[in-house]
Parts: sequence; structure tokens; C-alpha cells
Amino acid sequence: MKLSNFLQAAAIFHKDFLVGLRRRAAFAAMAMFSLTAIASMSLSVGGILIEPKLLAALLWVVIFFAAGAGISGTFEDEAAAGTLATLKLYAAPQAVLFGKMAFTLASLLALTIFLLPVFLILFDAAVAQIFLLLATILLGLTGIAAAGTLTAALTVSASTKGGLFPILLFPVTLPIFLPAISLTEAALTGAEFAPEFLLAMIFYDAILTVASSILYDFLD
Amino acid sequence: MNKIRLESVSLSFGRRELFKNLTLEFSAGKVVGVIGRNGSGKSTLLKLAAKILKPDTGEVNIHGAQTVAAVTPEMKIYDALTAAENLNFFAKLRGKNINPAELGRRVGVDFETEIRAGDFSTGMRQRLKFAILLAVDADVWILDEPTSNLDEAGREIFLREIKSGARGGKIILLATNDAADLEVCDEVIELPAGGGDFS
Repeated sequence: MKLSNFLQAAAIFHKDFLVGLRRRAAFAAMAMFSLTAIASMSLSVGGILIEPKLLAALLWVVIFFAAGAGISGTFEDEAAAGTLATLKLYAAPQAVLFGKMAFTLASLLALTIFLLPVFLILFDAAVAQIFLLLATILLGLTGIAAAGTLTAALTVSASTKGGLFPILLFPVTLPIFLPAISLTEAALTGAEFAPEFLLAMIFYDAILTVASSILYDFLD
Repeated sequence: MNKIRLESVSLSFGRRELFKNLTLEFSAGKVVGVIGRNGSGKSTLLKLAAKILKPDTGEVNIHGAQTVAAVTPEMKIYDALTAAENLNFFAKLRGKNINPAELGRRVGVDFETEIRAGDFSTGMRQRLKFAILLAVDADVWILDEPTSNLDEAGREIFLREIKSGARGGKIILLATNDAADLEVCDEVIELPAGGGDFS
């Protein structure tokens, strides 16, 4: 990415941060979805200890759907407000993509910081390997942000965005969830983990980011 | 010399052929007015020239000029940001350092206010859009009904800035339904009603 594109992406990130801070709609949607989902699941199991594998899967299911509730608005809100045309005129396409991808990742990280302690408390779970859990979450969210931003750009002109977004996002992010669930289980139990899973997530995140960058140029 | 050339451009919307074999050239330092009845393709011609819209056939070449800015009804500003934040954002996208207060003086509005753009009147929003155009200092200005919703003082400011921009070597395309705007135009193109064959 050229330096000018990097500066443009930084400006878009800053602008999205300011707008997001003032409107709070996307973050509120993600937070409310995750809180409702966690609380209802926790109440339904009624204090029964859940298998770590199932707990890890539940965490990533909540993250996926909460992310879907927020990311789809990345481009949709701009298109509805009429600012997307202005943004595309003044900024390079790659800067728009990476600025929005960075903001999406930051939003997902903020969501997870809020969500994870609530999840662990309500399910009475302990973390045996905190750094492994943080690394897994960071890599998982990076992949979701990369794929989600491109999917949001793809679906912005579709008439059934709400239904289309998760349908398109899920198969693309599935290769992230499988190692992420396994690594999260290891982080919760303290069991040995397969480093290949971490490498696979890094590799797949890189593929998603590069593929998003290449494909975004064909969207206009 | 900076110029925009449309070469044998054709464009249809469904079965309706708006332009067929349209060839035009816009040079730097001139304000070209585009007039015509509603639906004649004024806004579409501007979008084609700015490469916001692609023609079905033919070519649009922008020679020399690097950057395009626009004031059109479709291009909106960020309602959640203040005027100064909007100006700084768009200026940063084009690598420009600007003084919002100075730009505010040029378009006759106080941009140092903390009021968000969403709470501006329609005329003030129009002035902010024009200030953004001045802030990014683009080579090509696309102006679609730029003086709509403006009072007389605002119109005078806009027309003065448009003249000044042309003197500064900008390529300026101005689509309007208001005959008073044509006083700043060096050339005027009248599009036939419903578009047409320009062969």
C-alpha cells in the first residue's frame, strides 16, 4: 500500500471512530446481541458445567453473530446516508477497504474485551493459558474483519443485505473457526495445543486480507 | 494542458439511449455550463466526465489533471461530524493541510462551531460541500446545481469562487437550471431533451 493510501486509510479509521463514538448504533447492536445470547445460554444450562470444547464453540458462535450484526453496517450505513459516493470520490479504493477493515477489527476487539469477561463469569469458566486465548482471539478477529469488510462491500447494493451477509460470511470464515475453537479449548483447559493451528490461522488471515485487497478493486 | 475528452461516448439506461456518439472536450481555465431540460442528462454528463460513471462505449480521458472534486445533490457530508471535522477529513484524504476558519470565511459560514453538520440548514450544508471542494484543491470541479438552496449572498460567493477557480486553471463543469449561474460560464452546452444522437 502506498504511503498516501496508508494516510487515507488512517483518516478513514479516525473518521469512522468519531462517527461510531457519536452514533454508537453498530456497537450497541453487537453488544446487545452478545449479552442477550450469553445470558440466555447461561440461564438455560442453569449452572451445569459445560464441556470446554462446547464452551469454546459457543464463544465463537456468539462472536460470529455479534460481528455480523455490526460489520454489515460498515458500508451499508454510508450508502444509506449518501456518503459512500463522496468517500469513493475522494479516497483511493484500497484506502477505503483498509481504513474500514482496521476500524472493524478495532470494534471487534472492543466488543471482545467487553464480552469475554461476561462470558467467563456467566459460564463459570477459567482460563489456563491467557496468552494463547488472546492470540487466538486476535487472529480470529483479524480474519473475521478481513472477510467481513469485503462481504459488507459486496452486499451493500443487494436488496436483502440482512440475510445475505451471514450466508456469504460463514463459509469464508469457517476455516478460522475450526482451529480457533480447538485453540480456545486448549486455552481454557491448559492442555497442549497444536502450533500448526496458530500458523494456519496466520496464513489464512493473510490470504483473506490479500484476497480482499485484490477483489475490492473489482467492486466499482 | 489539463483537459477532459469524451470520445464517441454512448450511454443507455435500459432501452433509453441517453447519449450516442457524444464527443466533447473540456479545457482547463474555463467554466463550461451544461443546461437542458430535466432528464436531458446534465448530471450524467458530469459523472461521465469525472469518471464517476462509465460509458457503455467510447472513452473518457482526463489529460494532466489528477484529482476531481464535486458538489452534487448525491454527494453527502457526514452528519455526525462538525463542519471542521468534515473539512479536515476530506482535506486529509487529499493530503492537504487546511484552516477551517479561513475556508468558512471564504464561503460565508462560521465553521468553528461545535454544531454537527446534521443540524445545519440546507443552505449551510451546501456551503460546507463547496468549502470541501475548495479544501481539497482538485484539478477538476464537478458542480451540479451548486447554487440551489443558497441565498443571494451565497450565490454571489459561489460564482466568485468558481470564476477564481477557472482563473487558477481548474477544469470546471457546471450543470444548472438557473440562468443566473451562466454568467460565470465561458461556454454553454445545451443538451437536447431526453438525450440524443450526437453523431
